[in-house]
Amino acid sequence: MIGFFTGVEAFFTGLSRIHRLLPWILAYLLLLPLPFLLKFGISEYYVDLANRACLFILLSVGLNIVKGFCGQVTVGHIGLYAIGAVTSALLAINYQLPFWVSAPIAILITGLAGIIVGLPSVRLEGAYLALATLGLGESVRIMIAVTPAFGSSTGIMMIPEPKIGEFIFNSFESYYYLVMTCAIIGIYLSFAILRSSTGRAFQAIREDAIAASVAGINVPFYKLLAFVISALYAGLAGALFAHMPPGYLHHNNFTIIEMVTLLLMVVLGGIGNIWGGVIGAIVVTVIYDQTKDYYFYQPLIFGIIMVVMVVFMPHGIGGVVKQAMIKRKFIENQEESRGSA
Amino acid sequence: MALLETKGLSKSFGGVQALQDVDVHIEEGSIHGLIGPNGSGKSTFFNVISGVYRPDSGSSVLFDNHEISQLPPHKITELGISRTFQLLRLFLEMTVLENVMVGYHCHTPYGFLSPILQGSKVREADEKIQDEMIEMLQFLGLASYANLPAGELSGGQRRLLSLGRAIAMKPKLLLLDEPGAGLSPVNVDHLMHTILSLKEKYKLTVVVVEHILKVVMNTCERITVLDHGQKIAEGSPEEVKNDHAVIEAYLGREMADEDIRQVIRA
Ligand SMILES: Nc1ncnc2c1ncn2[C@@H]1O[C@H](COP(=O)(O)OP(=O)(O)O)[C@@H](O)[C@H]1O
Ligand SMILES: [Mg+2]
Repeated sequence: MIGFFTGVEAFFTGLSRIHRLLPWILAYLLLLPLPFLLKFGISEYYVDLANRACLFILLSVGLNIVKGFCGQVTVGHIGLYAIGAVTSALLAINYQLPFWVSAPIAILITGLAGIIVGLPSVRLEGAYLALATLGLGESVRIMIAVTPAFGSSTGIMMIPEPKIGEFIFNSFESYYYLVMTCAIIGIYLSFAILRSSTGRAFQAIREDAIAASVAGINVPFYKLLAFVISALYAGLAGALFAHMPPGYLHHNNFTIIEMVTLLLMVVLGGIGNIWGGVIGAIVVTVIYDQTKDYYFYQPLIFGIIMVVMVVFMPHGIGGVVKQAMIKRKFIENQEESRGSA
Repeated sequence: MALLETKGLSKSFGGVQALQDVDVHIEEGSIHGLIGPNGSGKSTFFNVISGVYRPDSGSSVLFDNHEISQLPPHKITELGISRTFQLLRLFLEMTVLENVMVGYHCHTPYGFLSPILQGSKVREADEKIQDEMIEMLQFLGLASYANLPAGELSGGQRRLLSLGRAIAMKPKLLLLDEPGAGLSPVNVDHLMHTILSLKEKYKLTVVVVEHILKVVMNTCERITVLDHGQKIAEGSPEEVKNDHAVIEAYLGREMADEDIRQVIRA
C-alpha cells in the first residue's frame, strides 16, 4: 500500500522535473471524463455530489492553510464562505453583474473579512480564538438570517448561472468543469504557497510562535496572511456555491454543523497535510451524503469520528501515509548509503 | 568596538526583579560568557535582548548603533542577532532541513506573494537555499537526517539543530542559552569546539550561557556574572574566578554541587 503511494509520488516527482505543471495537467486530464463516468455509470446525482465535493475541497484546503499549517483554531470559516456566496449572488442579482465580475469582487471582500476574522489571533490562542472566530462566523449567519435583503428566511433564489457568450453553466456536468478546474488550481496554489518560505513561516508559527518570531518571522503579519488566504478560498467556494444550479442559497447552508463538517474534513484527512485536506473533503462529502437519511444523528456521528480521530490518529489519514513514506525513504537511503560504502 | 551594549537594563515580572540595571558590553568578534546561579536572570537577559520580552522603561540596548529595546523579535533578528533557547523550541513536526530553512527566513530572496505569481523563481531560489543549508547541516553532522522530522532526533542532535537554526539566520551576534545542558562533559567539550569553529567560519560574536563553569572559563575571553538579576562581576576568566562576590554568590547558596567545586578548583 505504502509502496503504491511512494510509487505514485515518484512518478509525479519525475513528471515535475520535466515541467513543474506537468503532474497537474495530467491530473486534470484524468479528471475530465469523470462526470460522464458518474452519470452513465451510476446516476446524474453523483455529478452533483462531485461538484459539492469540489467546493468542499476548496473550503478544506483553505481551512487547512490557516488551521492545519498555521495552527490557528478558527471556527469562523463557514461565515467567510457565506460572505462569498451572498456577496456574489447579490451583485449578480441586484447589479446584473456577470459571474466573472461578481465572483472576483466577492472573493476580495471575503479576503477583507478574513482580516477581521483573523484579528483576534494576534492576541488570542486556542479555545479563546475558537470562541472569538465562532462569534464572528455565527454573526454573519445571523445577519443573513434576519436581513431581508440577504434572503433572511426564504433564502436567495434565481441566482444566475455563469455563462461564456452563449454557453451557460446550467447543468451538473458543465458546472463540474468550472468547480473542478477551480479545485485543481486551488490545490496547486496551496502547494505553491505552502512549499515556499511563506508556508514554512506558517508551520513554524504553529509549532512555536516565539521561536518563529525569533527566527525573523513577523508573526502577526503571517497569521493574518494565513487567514486572508484561507478566506480567499472560502470566498471562491462561496461564489461557486451561490451560482451552482439550482442557484439558491439559504442561511441554513452556513450553520455551525456545516463548520463542524468542515473541521472534520481537515482532521480526518490530516491537519497540515494538503492531500489530507483533499481526501478528507471527498470522504466526508460521501459520508455526509450516505448518512443524510439520518440527518438527525449526523452531528453525533461526525462528533464521534472527530473524537476518535483526534485521540487515535491525530495526523489523520494523510499523516499516517506521509509518516510511513518518510520512514520508508529514510530506511531506503540508509540501505543505499550502506550499500555504496 | 562594542557590538552590543546595554545600559540600565531592567526587567521585572510583577514583584520579581529578574534583571536590575544591568550594564553589559560585548566586544565585536569576542566570545563572551554569561554565568550565574539558577534564577539569576541569564535567560531573561537573552529574552530581553532578542525581543521576546520588552525591557522595563529606562533600559537601553544598543546593537550595532541601533536602539533595539523596543523592537519586535523579527526586527531584531533582521538586524543580526540570533539566539538559541534553553529548552530548544525546535519545530518538532517539521523536518531538520525545514527547521534551518525557517532560520533563513529573513534572507529569502522573494516576497510572500511570489509563490503565486512566480512559481519557478521560488523553486530555483528554494533549491539554492536548500543546498546552502545542507552544507551547513553537513558541518554539524546532521545532513543525513535532513528529511526526518526534528522530533525524531536524539537530545544531542536536537541541540546541534537548534544551533544550526540560529546560524541559518546569518547573525552578527549569536546568543547561546546553555547549549550544553544535559550533555556529558565529553560531548560538551565537543560542542564547544563546534561553536568555536562556527564562530570562525561565520565571523560571529558569541555570548554563551553555560552552567558548567569550567567550559566557560576555558573558552570565553570575557565573562559577566549575574546574581539576583544584578551584575556582580565582569572581566577575564582569571579576574572573575578570584572575585569575592562571585565565590560568595555561589557558596552563599549552600549549593555543594559540582559547579561550585569546579569554580574553586579551576
Ligand atoms: N515569564 C516569566 N514570568 C515570571 N517570572 C519569570 C519569567 N521568566 C523568568 N522569571 C523569573 O525571573 C528570574 C530569572 O529567571 P531566568 O532568567 O530564567 O534565570 P536563569 O536563566 O539565570 O536561570 C527567576 O526568578 C524567574 O522565576
Ligand atoms: Mg536559564
